[in-house]
Formats: sequence, structure tokens, C-alpha cells
Amino acid sequence: MLSSAGNILLTGSILFTFLIIYLSFQNLREKNFKIGKDLVYLSVFQITFIIASFILLTFGFVFSDFSLLAVYQNSHTSKPIFYKIAGVWGNHEGSLLLWINIMVIFSYLFLVFNNKSNKSYSLYTLLVQNILILGFLIFLISSSNPFFKILPVPLEGLGLNPILQDPALVIHPPLLYLGFVGSSIYFSAAMGAILSNIEGKNFASSIKTWVLISWSFQSLGIIFGSIWAYYELGWGGFWFWDPVENASLIPWFCMTALAHSVLVLEKRNYLYNWVLILSLITFISSVTGTFLVRSGILNSVHTFANDPSRGLYILIFLSLMIGFSFVIFIKRRISDKFYVEPLSKETFILSNNWFMMFYLATVFIGTVYPIFTQVLYDTKISVGPPFYNAVIAPVIIPFLIFMALGPKINWIKQKYDGLKSFILILILSCFINFLIFFFFKSYNFISNLIIISSLFLIIHSAKDFILKAKTKLHFNFSSFLSHIGFGFLIFFIILNHNFSKEFDLNIKVGETKKMGNMEIKFNNLKIEERENYNAVIGYFNIFDSEKKYQKRLNPEIRVYENPQTLTFESSIITNLKQDLYLTMSNLDGSEFYNIKFQIKPFMLWIWFAALLTASGGLVRIFIKK
Amino acid sequence: MKNNFLIILICLFSFELSANENISLETKIFKNLRCIICQGQSIAESNSDFAQTIKIVVRDKIGQGENEKEIYEFLSEKYGEWIIYRPKFNFVNSFLWFSPYIVLLLGGLLIFKYFRKRKQ
Repeated sequence: MLSSAGNILLTGSILFTFLIIYLSFQNLREKNFKIGKDLVYLSVFQITFIIASFILLTFGFVFSDFSLLAVYQNSHTSKPIFYKIAGVWGNHEGSLLLWINIMVIFSYLFLVFNNKSNKSYSLYTLLVQNILILGFLIFLISSSNPFFKILPVPLEGLGLNPILQDPALVIHPPLLYLGFVGSSIYFSAAMGAILSNIEGKNFASSIKTWVLISWSFQSLGIIFGSIWAYYELGWGGFWFWDPVENASLIPWFCMTALAHSVLVLEKRNYLYNWVLILSLITFISSVTGTFLVRSGILNSVHTFANDPSRGLYILIFLSLMIGFSFVIFIKRRISDKFYVEPLSKETFILSNNWFMMFYLATVFIGTVYPIFTQVLYDTKISVGPPFYNAVIAPVIIPFLIFMALGPKINWIKQKYDGLKSFILILILSCFINFLIFFFFKSYNFISNLIIISSLFLIIHSAKDFILKAKTKLHFNFSSFLSHIGFGFLIFFIILNHNFSKEFDLNIKVGETKKMGNMEIKFNNLKIEERENYNAVIGYFNIFDSEKKYQKRLNPEIRVYENPQTLTFESSIITNLKQDLYLTMSNLDGSEFYNIKFQIKPFMLWIWFAALLTASGGLVRIFIKK
Repeated sequence: MKNNFLIILICLFSFELSANENISLETKIFKNLRCIICQGQSIAESNSDFAQTIKIVVRDKIGQGENEKEIYEFLSEKYGEWIIYRPKFNFVNSFLWFSPYIVLLLGGLLIFKYFRKRKQ
């Protein structure tokens, strides 16, 4: 029943998408100035059908309709209702349907909110966006149909991967998808701009908000993902340069570069080609990342069921997308001719793009290089955190300095009169760094320089803010938030990186062991039955002999039956200064447990700084000048 | 302004962190080793039996007085270079290590090209 209804809705969506493409072509030939009403109506139908199909699938999960393969494979009657709903996008089929939903919603919103633009530009954008939607819909229905039916209907489902059974599953994927898929609309707009030959300025002002929307959601999605990884995966870190993390970071670099360079195009009509390229590669890199992760070429926690035919389809689709956009871009044959003053806002924005492209290149090469060596030299190498830290860290230093100076510089030309404050702030930053170094000792040379430059960024931004507030001139508050937030982010990450402590030891019930100047006592072990798993809970006490405090930490080992899995839940005590982080795991055939105890300074501040950075984008969207 | 600086300083003082015991050699090595039976986890992070075994091996080797490099060489001979997260500096990996900086250099030159020439 659900299955046929779902298939009808999907077929309907395909039909409407097809009609939109056809009518857009027709409409382009007609000589009136407005987009036909019929296109708007069709879009309303399209969005209604696709959202209805999503709601239907959600019902399938909530009422555990195991006649649907996707529900059978990823759900279970004993699963809490909360995870039944979130489980809709916790699998390949459902998440693809969510992906298409977002594409359609963006397509509709662009059509509605962008009605003042040039007609042929809007039509071409709609056309390209719907060709993309059609491509994904065909992919969905042919190889990953969420409404695929199985007979006979199983009595019970296989259950959702317990690692995914977490409140963060509700928020992390939708946020990230809004970022990833949100970039499709300016891919289409860039194609539309080339095909309709509109002016750079108009293109820039029409995509600006969309870039900010996807940038903000992408940032939030990445932040929530790393918070989730921090407490769930049980290793106490928040960033591992895992292929999936990299796949989300590459489009983020493009979006950040675009959010800056689009301003140059809007204000000065420079960089049209570059903005077009960035708009195109943002979505291309989003799809590529998804392909690499979903196809199982790169392995990680995000690898859902692998199926080579799916990989092949995305690969063909991707090649066509890249091929077509490349050909259309090359055919444009208009080159930008412009010059900028070395000391102008244009230069600083260009330098932002310069650094972004460096980070992008590093992350991209690092991610794909293992595939490359395996094919060419038959050696499988790993490119992990030590590589990225070593390559990227030194370049962060000038980047932060540029980031501090950029916002205050004028367009076109500026006489630099800030040398005095530059030196003063630099000295102050060095002094604070020296104090940190003096009191806490030992961190390496590069860390010193990064601390200095991040302090420089923080103090410089704060100074600009205070001075501008006095004069009550126009002040770019959103850029201030993002820049100072990023300064704090780097500052706390480096401190955390240098002053984290880790202890790894084996212990049995009743024992007390020393860890530096602390002691840990394994008091007790209990087994508890919970809603859909059994928990083995360890009761630990931590004593600090110097500061005379005592903390209780209760990490768990969870034993799930459907599917049979063990997960290791960390126990974390958070305060403003530091996190205490404890995980335990059983050692086979022994009464000992392996525990990992970590002291991670300033974790709360890292999250706060990251959210501050992301909030800049949201502020700009909602508060217009 | 001066008051603000004082506040910042006091804040910094009040965190009684001490980094005198930095990350030990042991942890550093664990973090640089991949748990080859897990999905994207290091030996330091993993709860698997494989990770436990490797930890014992590494501790033994440190006990025998071997240095970091010798331990990596021993492990990569046994399990392949796949196990080490920091790629070696060798011919095969030269492109990996240098190309990001080549991109950086080229980008810088490109921006320089767009600077208005100071003739007048």
C-alpha cells in the first residue's frame, strides 16, 4: 500500500520535473518578459509531490512497515520513536530522497524569490536545476528506491546501526545536506548566467544570499558532526581528517571563497570567471565527495551499504555534469581584464581565495593520494592527521594576519595608516603568547606563531569593533563575528592540542591506579537493561591529590541485539576549563578493562568559537543593511 | 584598553594548566598508527583486540630501547605502509608533500599579476 503510493508520488515528481524542463524550453522561445504562470504551478505540484513522498516514507518508518525494503533493512519495532523518524535519513535511500527534497525546495524558492531577475537567466537556472533533479530522481527510482517492496513481508526489521542511534542524527545530516545540496542552486545559476549572458553584477547579487545560506548550514553541519564524533566515537578527538570529514570540508572551502569573491563581483564587477568557476566546483565537489564516500572507495563510518552499480551511476552522472559545465564555460570565451591596487579590499579578498585554494588543494590531494599510489605503485599508504597538521599549520599564520587586516581596508585603494596599531597589537599578542608559554611550558615553534597570529586576529577585530561602535559608522557585524570567532577557534584548538593529556591503562574492579598526579579507582560494575540494549556501566572515581577534588565518571559498554553490535559510550564531565573524558572497553578472556582517560582543555570554548564563526553567515542573511 | 588587557591576562592566569607532562612517546606512536581492521580509527582510539595487541608490541619495543623510527619500520614491514598515518618523505610521496606548496606559490604569483603596475 505505502509502496505503491510512494512510487506513484515519485513517478509524479519525475513527470512534473520533465514538464518543467520542457516548458522552460518553450518559455525561452516566447518573447514576453515574464515567466509563464504554468511553470510556477508546475513547481508547486513538483514540490508538493516530493515532500509528500518524504512524509510517506517517514510514516513507513514510524509505523514499521517492513514491506518496504529500506524500512526492513534499517528499522526495528523496538527502536525508540525518535530514532524511527531520524532513521529516515540514516540510510542511503532515505538520505537520497532528502537530498532531492532539498534540491526541489531550493529550486522553488529561487523561482519565487528571484522573480525580478532577467527572464532568460531565471529560466535557464530553473532548467539546469531541474535537469539535475531529474538525474537524481532517476538514480533514486532505478537503483535506490526507498519504496521498493519485499514479499513476503518480514515480521521484524534488521535495526539501525547503534552508532547512529543518537539525538545528533536528527540534526547533523539535514544541516549538512542543506549546505551540500544548497550549492546546487548556484551551480544552476552559474550555468544560467553563462547561457543567458547576464551581467556579472546581477549574477553576484542574485546568488549572494544562497551562498551564505549554504555556507552557514554547511558550517553548522560540520560542527554538529564533529561534536557528535567527539562524544560518540569514543576517541576524545573532534577532527581526524577522515575522508568523510574532508569530503565536507572541500565544498566548505569553495563556499567560503565564493562568499568573499562574490562581493568583489557585486561591487567592482571583477572576477566574473572566477566566481563562475567557484559556483560550479562547489556543487561538483559536493557530489564527488558523496560519491567517494557512498561508493565505498574511501572507507569510514559513513559508508552505508555499498553497491557498485550505484557508484557507477553517480560516476557517469558526475562526468556528464563536469563535462557539460566545462564545455559551456569554455565556450563563453570572455576573459576578465582588470587590475587591483596592492592595498585594497580586493587584494585581501583575493588572498582569502588564495588560502582557501591552498587548503582545498592540500585536503584534496591528501584524500585521493592513497588511491593514486595504490594504482600506480601498488603500495597502500595512509595520509592522516600528522600530514595535514604539518602542511597546513605554517600557512595558517599569514592567513590569520590577513584575516585581521582585511575587513578594515577600503575598496579600490587605501593609504596604509595602521602601521602603529599593527605593531602594537603584534607586540601585545607576542606578550600574551610569551605568558602562556612561560606558565604552561613546552609547545613547539609553529604553535607559538599560530597563537600569536590568532591573538592578533582576535585583538585586531575587537579593536575595530570598539572604534567603529564609537563613531557609529556602518559596521559589518557579520564579518566581525565570523572573523573573531575563527580567531578564537584556532586559539583554543592550538591550546587544546598542546595541553591535552591522555592515559591508557588496564584495570579491574576494585583497583586503584595512578595517572600522573591523579588517581583513578574502579569502584563497581553494573548491568542494566534499557529500551533496546543492555548497558554494562563502569563506576569510576577520579581523585586529584593537588586540587583535592573527586569526580565520578560512568562510561558504558552497550550491547545491542538488533543488529548485534557493541558500542562504547564515553562519560564526559564538561566545565569552562576542561573536559574530563573516560571510555572503557572489555578485554577478551580477562577480568581487566581497558580504559582511556583524557583531560581536554577548553572543549566548550572550541564549540562556542565554531558556532560564533557560523553565526556570522546567519546574521548576514537575516539582518540586511 | 588597559583594563581589558588585564582582564584577559587574569583569565589566562586562572587556568591552572600544566603541560610539563606532554603527550608521551607511547601515545604519540599510538596516534600515528592505523587500526587496520577498523574503519578510520587509530590504535590510540580503537577498542579492538588488534589495537590491544599492537599496544603491547609498541610498549615492549619502547621497553627494549628502540626509537620511534625503528618501531615504525618494524610495523610497516609487517603490515605495510598503510599502518602509518604520516606518509614517508620519499620519491613516491614527493608529489603529496610538495604540490600543496606549489599551488600556494602559483596562486600568489597569479594575484601578483593582477596588481596595477606602478608606472605613473
